[in-house]
Amino acid sequence: MIVSVSRIVRFALQDFFRNFWLSVATVSVLMLTLVSVNLLVVMNVLGKVALSTVESRVDVSVHFGPEVEESRIQTVKVALLSLPEVRDVEYVSASRALEQFSETHSEDHDIIEALGEVESNPFGGTLIVKARNLEDYPKILSALDEPVYANLIEEKNFDDRRVMIERLEAIAYRVEVFVLAISAIFGLITLLIVLNTIRVSIYTHREEIGIMRLVGASDGFIRGPFYVEAVFWGLLAVILTAALLYPALAVSQPFLRAFFGTEAVDVIGFYNANFLQVFGLQFLLVTLMSLLTTKLATAKYLKV
Amino acid sequence: MIRLKNVTKIYPPDVVGLQNVNLHIRPGEFVSVVGQSGTGKTTLAKLLIAEERPTKGQIVIGGWDISSIKSSEVPLLRRQIGVVFQDFKLLPKKTVYENVAFALQVCGASHRKIGHIVPQALRIVGLSGKADRYPWQISGGEKQRTVIARSLVHRPKIIVADEPTGNLDSINTREIIDLLKKINEFGTTVVLVTHNREVVNELRRRVITIDRGLIVSDQEEGKYVL
Ligand SMILES: Nc1ncnc2c1ncn2[C@@H]1O[C@H](COP(=O)(O)OP(=O)(O)O)[C@@H](O)[C@H]1O
Ligand SMILES: [Mg+2]
Repeated sequence: MIVSVSRIVRFALQDFFRNFWLSVATVSVLMLTLVSVNLLVVMNVLGKVALSTVESRVDVSVHFGPEVEESRIQTVKVALLSLPEVRDVEYVSASRALEQFSETHSEDHDIIEALGEVESNPFGGTLIVKARNLEDYPKILSALDEPVYANLIEEKNFDDRRVMIERLEAIAYRVEVFVLAISAIFGLITLLIVLNTIRVSIYTHREEIGIMRLVGASDGFIRGPFYVEAVFWGLLAVILTAALLYPALAVSQPFLRAFFGTEAVDVIGFYNANFLQVFGLQFLLVTLMSLLTTKLATAKYLKV
Repeated sequence: MIRLKNVTKIYPPDVVGLQNVNLHIRPGEFVSVVGQSGTGKTTLAKLLIAEERPTKGQIVIGGWDISSIKSSEVPLLRRQIGVVFQDFKLLPKKTVYENVAFALQVCGASHRKIGHIVPQALRIVGLSGKADRYPWQISGGEKQRTVIARSLVHRPKIIVADEPTGNLDSINTREIIDLLKKINEFGTTVVLVTHNREVVNELRRRVITIDRGLIVSDQEEGKYVL
């Protein structure tokens, strides 16, 4: 049994090198499919980063009048935090608001002068409220409209980026469909090429196969090497794709970070964290593809 | 050992290979099958190794009815029947030794078994000294002896040889026939398909003559009669 398996593997290896350029072409086209699949994976990761970046910038600023005491604002904060929709509430004190304002307008002499003329701090405290989900903001806004709060509140700013987010989602979706279509096309081309490779392989082996039959080799021995070779191709394609992917990501990650303006872009980190799942699935995908094709090809060209 | 009952082989759509053939070959016999070209001799050989299935009738080999043998069982049959064809069917990139060993390798034999049986088979056919040569480095007769050595490695009870001397001159032909006789003396049943008159007449064994798919004569110690 072990002898047979090792012999089948050896035959498969021999065949791989015997039709070397054909093997190279087959592995390359498998890699092409895998690269487009990985493009899909990267797009997905980036899309999520983009969305969460935009989403994290959405908030409601609740400005209180300068006369409202901090303790009351803190009460409102606690009340808001008790709402299930609220994820986080940040308190910005009146003096901090003034500082921030002076900082952002430090160039503008008129404004600084005007500020100097006002004796007391014109700003009140501010609460910056973040919801758990984008859909929760309307609820929070209506909660703030209740008289208990409304009397204290001078102004509410809701930075609604829903339109932007929707557009982002639409673009991401379209790009993914496009890449998926390309992957499918590559997959189809791959199937045809693999089919042809096996056909050629069977053809170059017709003498051996004929003799094997004549001397009573079992079907497994005759077909086995073709299946083993298909697994080889899959394995090699995944390893080479990973070997290409990492340097490519390492090069492009700084650009992606600059583009998205956040360090949260960590495609390499994603691959590292999900290495086995991502590449294991890809290995399964291409191997299953080539095994299926092998079955087709041997059924068609290797008649008993 | 071999029994054919009313065997007919029609190649689709309507080419007659064999017609209503009845035949019984006993263990240890040396049977020559003769006849003109295109009369069904190769068809008979192919039926015996289940490369073709009979259209009608029954073929029993060693008690095993192979008339409608499943393709997964064919390898088992082939390991019990050695096959020698006119075209040598040796692998050009393998040495004599490797060609013979190949038959055992692809049937899952252990290295030890291969190392034991292959030299023995080469000794029987007288090729021990040329084990490391490639097919292009040996004569036609030696190639055919290599094929015979390969057909012996499973220690078959039957050897089917279809025109094994068709491509050989008379000296090599005699050597091959002598070799088959020697193998027959060990107890192996030999079915020799040939249209070589001298070979048959010199053998003085059973001769079956086929004409247009029919057995027209079957004689012990026969002569080539056509
Ligand atoms: N695979 C095949 N398909 C169709 N006809 C065949 C096939 N093999 C042989 N025949 C026909 O069957 C007849 C017997 O052929 P064969 O057994 O090869 O004759 P022989 O070996 O005596 O020369 C011939 O008419 C031949 O053309
Ligand atoms: Mg013939």
